[in-house]
Amino acid sequence: MKSFIDFVAKFKEYITLTALIVICFSSISLGNKFQLGGFRTVIVGSVGWLQSVIDWVPNPVALKSENRAVRELNLYLSSELIRSRKSIIENEKLKNMLSLRDTTKMELLPADVIGETIVELRKYVTINKGIDDGIAEGMAARTDAGLVGWIVAVNKVYSLIELINNSNVKVSTKIQRNSINGIIEWKGDKEFNMINVPDSYDMKVGDILLTSNYSNKYPADIPVGRITVAEHKVGSLFKIVKIAPLVDFSSLEQVFVISYLPNPERMGLIKEMEAKLKTRKSK
Amino acid sequence: MKFEFISNKKTTRNKRLILYAFLTILLSFFQMIGLGIIAIDGITPDLLLILTVWIALREGRFVGMLSGFFIGYFFDLISLDTPGTNALAKVIVAFIAGMLYKEGKENLILGSFRFLIYVFACAVINNMIYFTLRIKLVDFTFQAFILKYALAFSFYTTVFAIFPMLFASSTKGDRGF
Repeated sequence: MKSFIDFVAKFKEYITLTALIVICFSSISLGNKFQLGGFRTVIVGSVGWLQSVIDWVPNPVALKSENRAVRELNLYLSSELIRSRKSIIENEKLKNMLSLRDTTKMELLPADVIGETIVELRKYVTINKGIDDGIAEGMAARTDAGLVGWIVAVNKVYSLIELINNSNVKVSTKIQRNSINGIIEWKGDKEFNMINVPDSYDMKVGDILLTSNYSNKYPADIPVGRITVAEHKVGSLFKIVKIAPLVDFSSLEQVFVISYLPNPERMGLIKEMEAKLKTRKSK
Repeated sequence: MKFEFISNKKTTRNKRLILYAFLTILLSFFQMIGLGIIAIDGITPDLLLILTVWIALREGRFVGMLSGFFIGYFFDLISLDTPGTNALAKVIVAFIAGMLYKEGKENLILGSFRFLIYVFACAVINNMIYFTLRIKLVDFTFQAFILKYALAFSFYTTVFAIFPMLFASSTKGDRGF
C-alpha cells in the first residue's frame, strides 16, 4: 500500500495529466448533450447585460463599413426597385393563375444588435429581444440583405444569435436560377465554400443562393449569398464553389428574427431516423 | 517558527488562487464581450492562455494543469463551445509551461522577456491543438494553417502578454504577486 502511495506521489503530475486528458476527451465525445439549459440562460443574461452596458462605445471600423454597405445597397436597390415593381405585378398574375398560397409573409420581429462575441472561429451577436418579445431558441434571423443566423440561446430580455460565418455552421441552400441544392460552410475566409458539388452541376458566377426547402434550421427562400467562383478542380469530380455572403457581418446593427420554428413533427421524425441508424451501426 | 512561515506561505498562496479564480471569471467575460472591438480579421488574443501560462510558471506544473483544466472548461461552458476542447488545449499547455517552472525564480521569469517567448510557444501549441480539433485540416494547406491559426493568433496573444510581464517586472524587488 505504501509503495502504491509513493508511486502515486512520485508520478502525481503525469497521473493528473492523463486523468484530465481522459476527462477532456470524454467531454468532447459527449458534445453539447450535457450543457444545462439554466446555465445557458444565466450566461446569455449576463453577457447581454454586460454588452448593453458597453454598447455606447463606438466602433469606427464598423461605422465606416456600414456606410459603404448602405451606399452600395442604395445603388443596388434603386435599380432593383423598377424591376421588382414589374415582377410583383407579374407574380400576382401568375399566383392567381396557379392559385398558390403566399408563403413569403412570415412575422418578423425587429431587434437591435447590442454586442458581438468572437470566440476563435465562432461568431455570435447578442440582441435586445428575448422570450418576453416572442423569441424562441431555434428561430432564424435575417436582415434586409439576407440570412444572418439562428437563435442558440435566449432568456427573458436577450438572445444570442449564432452567425452563419461560424465554423460550426452548415447551411442547406439552393440556387435561385435552377433550384440546385448544396451545402455551404465557412472556414475562416471572407467567402463560404459549397461542398461536394459534382462537376456536372450548372453553377455560374453571379448566381444567387437562397435557403433550401431541405433545411431543418432556416425557413426556405431567404437570400444567403452570391457565387463568386465556380470552377473545375483539377483531378477531382467536384467543383470549387465560393460564395460571398449578402450580409455584411462587420456592421450588423439591426436584425429581424423570423417568427418561425421548424415543424416539431418533422424534427421528431429526423431524430427518430438518426437514432435508428445509430442503433444499426452499433449492432 | 518554521510552521508559522509555512502557514503564512500557504495563506498567501490561497489568496492568489482566489485571485486566479476571480481573474478567470473576469477575463472569460471580457474575452466574450470585449474582444470584438480589437479583433483583426477575426483574430483575437487569448487572454485565458496568458493566465494559464502565468499560473503554471508562478505555481508549478501541478497547480498549473488543474488551473488550465478549470479555466478551459469554464470558458467552454460560457462560450457554448464543445466542452473539453479549450480545457484539453490548456491542460497540455500548462503541463509544458510547468516544465519551465523554477522555484524561487518565479518573478524573475514572469518579469522578463522569457515570459513572452514562453507565452508565444505555448500559444502556438494551444492553437495547434484547439484548431486541429475544430477545423477539418483537409480544407487548408499546411502553410495556411500554420500561418493563420498557429502564428497569427499566437503573435496577437503574445502582444497582450507584455502587460502582465511589465507588472511582474515592476514587482520583481518585492515578494511579488
